[in-house]
Amino acid sequence: MKAEVVVIGGGPAGLAAALKASEHADVMLLEREDELGGILPQCIHDGFGNFIFNEMMTGPEYAQHFIDGVKKSDIDVRLETAVLEIGMDRKIVATNPAGIMEIEARAIVLAMGCRERTRNQILIPGTRPAGIYTAGTAQRLINIEGVMPGRKIVMLGSGDVGLIMARRFALEGAEVEGVYELLPKPGGLTRNIVQCLDDYDIPLHLSHTITDIKGKERVEGVTIARVDESMSPIKETERFIPCDCLILAVGLIPENELSKQVGIAIDKRTGGPFVDEHMETSVPGIFACGNVAHVHDLVDDVTLASEIAGTYAGKYAAGKIEEAGRVNITAGKNVRYVVPQFLRGLDMDSITFYFRVKEESEDVNIVISDGDRIIFEKREMVVKPPEMVKVVMPSSLLANTGGEVRIDVEGKYEK
Amino acid sequence: MKDMVLKKVEKIVRRHGFDDISVSMENGVVYFNGSVPSVEDFVQIGLAAGKIKTVRGVVNNLYYPGRKKKKKKQGMEEKIGAADIVIVGGGITGCFIARELSRYDLNIILVEKAEDVATGATKANNAMVHTGIGEYMGTLKQKLCIEGHLMYEKVANELHVPYKKCGMWIITTKHTLKHYKIPSFIADFISKRIIPFIVLRRGKKLGIPMQSVNRRELLEQEPNVTGKALAAVYSPTYGVTCPYHLTVALAENAMENGVKIMLNSEVTDIVTGDGIVKSVITTKGTIDTNFVVNAAGLYADEIADMAGAREYTIHPKKGSTLIFDKEYGNYINHSMSLLKFPRTEHYKGGGIMLTVDGNIQWGPTMESPSRMEDKSVASDDIEQIFRHFSLLTPDFPKNVIIAYFAGLRAATFTEDFFIRSSERVKGFVHAAGIQSPGLAASPAVAKMVLSILKDEGLEMRENKNFNPYRKKPVIFRELSNGEKEKLIEQNPLYGKIVCRCEQVTEGEVVDVIHSPVPALNVDAVKRRTRAGMGRCQGAFCLPRIARIISRETGVPMEEIVKNSEHSNLFVGKAKCLLGEGDDES
Repeated sequence: MKAEVVVIGGGPAGLAAALKASEHADVMLLEREDELGGILPQCIHDGFGNFIFNEMMTGPEYAQHFIDGVKKSDIDVRLETAVLEIGMDRKIVATNPAGIMEIEARAIVLAMGCRERTRNQILIPGTRPAGIYTAGTAQRLINIEGVMPGRKIVMLGSGDVGLIMARRFALEGAEVEGVYELLPKPGGLTRNIVQCLDDYDIPLHLSHTITDIKGKERVEGVTIARVDESMSPIKETERFIPCDCLILAVGLIPENELSKQVGIAIDKRTGGPFVDEHMETSVPGIFACGNVAHVHDLVDDVTLASEIAGTYAGKYAAGKIEEAGRVNITAGKNVRYVVPQFLRGLDMDSITFYFRVKEESEDVNIVISDGDRIIFEKREMVVKPPEMVKVVMPSSLLANTGGEVRIDVEGKYEK
Repeated sequence: MKDMVLKKVEKIVRRHGFDDISVSMENGVVYFNGSVPSVEDFVQIGLAAGKIKTVRGVVNNLYYPGRKKKKKKQGMEEKIGAADIVIVGGGITGCFIARELSRYDLNIILVEKAEDVATGATKANNAMVHTGIGEYMGTLKQKLCIEGHLMYEKVANELHVPYKKCGMWIITTKHTLKHYKIPSFIADFISKRIIPFIVLRRGKKLGIPMQSVNRRELLEQEPNVTGKALAAVYSPTYGVTCPYHLTVALAENAMENGVKIMLNSEVTDIVTGDGIVKSVITTKGTIDTNFVVNAAGLYADEIADMAGAREYTIHPKKGSTLIFDKEYGNYINHSMSLLKFPRTEHYKGGGIMLTVDGNIQWGPTMESPSRMEDKSVASDDIEQIFRHFSLLTPDFPKNVIIAYFAGLRAATFTEDFFIRSSERVKGFVHAAGIQSPGLAASPAVAKMVLSILKDEGLEMRENKNFNPYRKKPVIFRELSNGEKEKLIEQNPLYGKIVCRCEQVTEGEVVDVIHSPVPALNVDAVKRRTRAGMGRCQGAFCLPRIARIISRETGVPMEEIVKNSEHSNLFVGKAKCLLGEGDDES
């Protein structure tokens, strides 16, 4: 069958993209689960929508807003539909209980989200008993499946999902022995440290890691140790903690297996495709947004960026994108990565740069320049690696830059 | 003769300076009693005695601090049936023997203590179907490996089990002789000319096809191999299979041909009378029989002991293996191993291995005896593997690791298979000491055990209804789009993906839950379908698989286990810790 825009993934990114795309073209939305919303239905805590709706919503509430929109639209939603492959020619093969679908799409939006890093990827030694879960899996188990993963919890990593889950475990009556973080700084947002750990008397141990997992059938305990400046465990500080469950919140990885299969160029720093300001990837007509492009902190940002992807996927399908000269964006001083990585339209009123810093720094000046000339500047009180930085600027300022723009974060004094 | 051997053994004991050891001998088996200061001594003494040519077996009863006495489980005396033969152990060896015995008109029972077959050493090795080139000359394992390897294709076809002749490079590099302080031009010459020549000659002698390849040809065919490579010998018939698929397939085929498989059934005693096997007592009841095959792997010595037929001691040897993301499955074209001398404690073998599923594996290691009590993988092991195999493909992205595991090899001190009828008890046949290349050798091991049983007096009349074929299981990801379409038409569950990474459908999961050897826990489903074996390691599919098992079997979700009776995945329903869980539902 033929389609104008196919959106892959019905989470917050896919929903926003589909809605916007449908203003310009016919849209088909493919979702592998039997309901829309992606990860949001299991995020029953609040904190969503603060930015867009000026309201504190739960995950299901936030999702419902967009699901309602999709229901009112004429978007063709296919649930329980998993994409098996995408070709260079934007031919999609998907499967669902009704059969195999072969779809020739004019434009595709990749919105598959991300997955969690596992125990294996961070090389935690020990046995392989039951009772080791990633934070997101634990969240699904408690909030959707209604089962408890453990009663005495040790958590490694202080990413946001982990912090939320530490609180969730406490609310379920489980004992959270502590949260251990390899880095000398927490991995999650400050507000989560306060609301999820401090308020529940859950201790956070920075510069610690797990050096062994014990247990034959079920987790019986873990050995933790302090790490030195090179992140190596200090043997003398090893301590055994009896527990029946280890929860890992050690990072998220954009899911780009399909993208790689098509041959889309992937930015090693973000783990997602290189995208321009329309969120178009290196393969014409294929767009990427949400956590596929890079891991976000807030769903509101996912929505905003995905609306852009949807809009331009719709325009692309309708044959209405014009390209200007290409501008490369370089991640400069104290900048780990920038999305978009390049510009080629300059047809939008404003451009939003999302980036992460390498080091925490206070009272900084974010400088956008073409090498010699400063184009735009913005002050920030503090920048931290776990908190995404956002700079919105008029597009017009980026014209006549000679094709190269860089972003530097100049700190008054670095911490 | 006996006295000479005994003297040799006593000399070894004296050399080690242990006074607290008594040695005796019977039927070529050396018996040690007493105590030693450490597990290293325990292993060293055992191995030293095992090396003596005429020693058939070593029973090492030496106590060392930390040696655990196993608690005996209580068996059930109640008779639950009679069998012509009982096979103890549902690993590759036991299941292969069961399947081969089902060619005959016999009442066969296989007992396995775990919830599933293939849960011991069978599931935790690197899946290679070795040719036999790497085994010591003149050993039983070499003979059976060569034979078994040649029998693989047929059985894999009959049972629809993946088997690929992936080929294997045996490579020499600048590291091959680095340990020795010899001028590099000499070392290079030996590595380039002499070692390949020796390997080729051995292949010729054993009838194993081998081709010598120079550095340029090797690097042309394997551009990711180190520039420090000097030469290689290629073994085109080297194979790889999936050990648990094969074992499950054998078990299922055996069942279809009349074998009874009792899972969750641990043998607690074996009753003999007048030197003959009388019955096998298990935790599920007692089976009368006059023949027992002991294929109990790591526990074979304990099972033998129950029958009064202890002729060896099993000492586990741990090996760790790393698995990498399929994304880099094409990094090499054939499996490969590095020849490095002397063969260290850590690497007697192992290599960079292709799998039938498209992942690359590095390993296994061979670990020191003090660390063999459990199946944990230490960071040391991981680093060792990284270091060692980086010598072959130095630029391989090690961060695409998706899993690691350790397995325990069921080794005897004579370091060879122990396959023979007991000298002490009639009707009791050992198929023990099966370590590498036990997987490759398994078809030949089964054949040998059958001929021993015949000699022991087991009456074997042909089973005219024997069907060597097993129905081909559905593997969705391997089908064409047309075939997928047809399948989904028959059953919509085949259209529903539950494991993203490996593209496993709900239909396949339901199939294996209801298969002849049912997959009733998450790991059993994983071994059969690959759900949870991909890059996310079950983070996504585990709740879904548990839910499906619960739905299909009626076991409540909160009681679903990972792989064994007490490996509960969950501790109860949500709110159970607040004391409200029980009131619900």
